[in-house]
Amino acid sequence: MKALASFIRATGQAGLFTLAVLRASLPTRDFLAELTREIYKIGGRSLPIIAVGGAFVGLSVILLGYRALDTYGASNQVSAMLGLGLYRELAPVLTALLFIGRAGSSIAAELGLMRATDQITALGLMAIDPVAKVVAPRFWAAVICVPLLTAFFISFAILASWFEAVHVIGLDDGTFWQVMRDAVDFRHDFLSAFIKAGVFGAIAALVAAYVGFHSEPTIEGTSVATTRAVVNASLLVLMFNFVLSALMFR
Amino acid sequence: MSIRGPRLEFAVGAFLLLALATLLVLALASTNGKFSMRGDTYPLKARFSSIGQLRASGPVKIGGVTVGSVADIQLDPVKYDSIVTLAIDDKFKDLPADTTAGVFTSGLLGEAYIGLQPGGDPEVLKPGDEIAFTQPAVDLLQLAGKYMFGAGAPKPADDTATTDPSTESTP
Repeated sequence: MKALASFIRATGQAGLFTLAVLRASLPTRDFLAELTREIYKIGGRSLPIIAVGGAFVGLSVILLGYRALDTYGASNQVSAMLGLGLYRELAPVLTALLFIGRAGSSIAAELGLMRATDQITALGLMAIDPVAKVVAPRFWAAVICVPLLTAFFISFAILASWFEAVHVIGLDDGTFWQVMRDAVDFRHDFLSAFIKAGVFGAIAALVAAYVGFHSEPTIEGTSVATTRAVVNASLLVLMFNFVLSALMFR
Repeated sequence: MSIRGPRLEFAVGAFLLLALATLLVLALASTNGKFSMRGDTYPLKARFSSIGQLRASGPVKIGGVTVGSVADIQLDPVKYDSIVTLAIDDKFKDLPADTTAGVFTSGLLGEAYIGLQPGGDPEVLKPGDEIAFTQPAVDLLQLAGKYMFGAGAPKPADDTATTDPSTESTP
């Protein structure tokens, strides 16, 4: 009973935190400068891991798809499987998971350390809203960056798998592109992928900022917050992915 | 972070522009390019005694070219026919009134689609009209079973199932 009450309270706290972040998001000059810095830090600097991750995911999807479809003599349809798989599920989810590992952990650690060294309290004492100063720019940077990183993920995955399918396995170049174009619908698949990615970015940043912001003001509290940010954000992204897929693709 | 000021802004700008360019290339190179949010279509209806594997949002083709999609499939509660609503692209208005519709399968195992065969009638089908001449789906397995096992003594029940049960025949 007590556990249930505290669970409900924690949910309410998280909801109120989300509201506070949205209310604190005013496009002031300071906010935009912070936003630029955060886009560079958590977006631009995540590019290498996203590119390499995407390329290798594309390669293994081609191997898997070729093996499965060759049984039915339909191996030239492998790019349909690649395109649909990437846009619908793989690219938004894996980009979000890589992003959580790369940027979510650093957001949580940064805020946790600010809490531990009383910087957040100090901002409050100087009548600067710490949520507006520290959390809101990171939140919006994540909402902007994760869809863009998803685009990089997909393009590197398609490039790598094109190389594998056409130049290693020996499928036909024209068929590869045409089959993918026929399978991927702009509205249902392409746009849904980026809506999903935006939602995942928001989840990643909110969870990481929340646990960092509310961590115990000790060194150990910071490490607990970092772990919790990665675990909780990853689980939430996977759960929301199912819910969004069920709503979007039925 | 070591860089700040103009160099930071340049880096962020390059990142954003590169990302938007990637989005554009992906949208053009890897999707079917149906960008319009609300594709302008008009409805047509067609009755089939059997639709086989046809599903909602399946394609509608004329001569192999996709001209629309299956919007809805309902079962007539009185006649037990399937009423299929087609959403045809507005570009292909003025289909002749004697257009025929059939349920076909692309390849041996491919997806089911509706094939339209325009006739030569000067009258045209208006939005919401029903296509009068239809041809139901052919079940390959049932057909094969009939030739293999039922050729000598066709049972009446099997017979009606595989010969065209729709009262109209294609001209």
